[in-house]
Amino acid sequence: MALTLAATAEAARARQEVCAEMKTLLVERLTLDVDAALIGDDQPLFGRGLELDSIDTLELAMAVEEKYGVMITDDDTDSLLSLNRLVDHVEANR
Amino acid sequence: MTAALAPATLLTADDIARLLPHRYPFFLLDRVTGLEPGISATAIKNVSVADPVLAGHFPGRMIYPGVLLVECVAQLAAVIYGTAAAASAGEDVVADVAHRVGYLAEIRQAKFLRPVYPGDQVVFKAQSGTRLGALISVTGQASVGREVVMTARLAVTERDQED
Repeated sequence: MALTLAATAEAARARQEVCAEMKTLLVERLTLDVDAALIGDDQPLFGRGLELDSIDTLELAMAVEEKYGVMITDDDTDSLLSLNRLVDHVEANR
Repeated sequence: MTAALAPATLLTADDIARLLPHRYPFFLLDRVTGLEPGISATAIKNVSVADPVLAGHFPGRMIYPGVLLVECVAQLAAVIYGTAAAASAGEDVVADVAHRVGYLAEIRQAKFLRPVYPGDQVVFKAQSGTRLGALISVTGQASVGREVVMTARLAVTERDQED
């Protein structure tokens, strides 16, 4: 079934909302010194991206579990590579 | 002489010494009084004037160091995952698993709500949370009587192999 234009726009808007929410969660829980709005959806969370480390990922996994009830296990650590991947994981498992 | 111990005793100091690599003067827990391997544990520590750390912290004003209260929670966390590893290997919860003890990786939101003095019996509670790779999140609390004296969130690591 093809989505109507309105439904597609609504899905995109909902996605943006979750992305924005996730950025705020990241900045608040990890006390990052960046503006949440300036984090790109595809920006890597590690290395030259947000420069998170493995200890931050544990905190992030806890935060995501508390807020969305979605677990991040050793099998899906790929979902921690970028914000988009993280939101994909949350939306797929919520 | 198990019969001589209080009924709440689950693990004696000798049991704990098999689970942890720590030794004097850094072996801190006296007794484990509650245990769900892999999930949570409760332990007690009696703070005694005989503890050498009190000679220096501080002369004339003995206070049990807050950082050692945090270390007690970290050691209790090692009891939680050590007993889980022993149990999953089909052994008793007490086994020689001290080699599994890794590192203290993070101390987050540690609060010291009141000082701990010689004569205090400190009750520690630790709860294991989210786990990712070798990292385990732990929430801990210490209390004396009805008063909470310390709360902290930690991340610790467990070593799976000889690494």
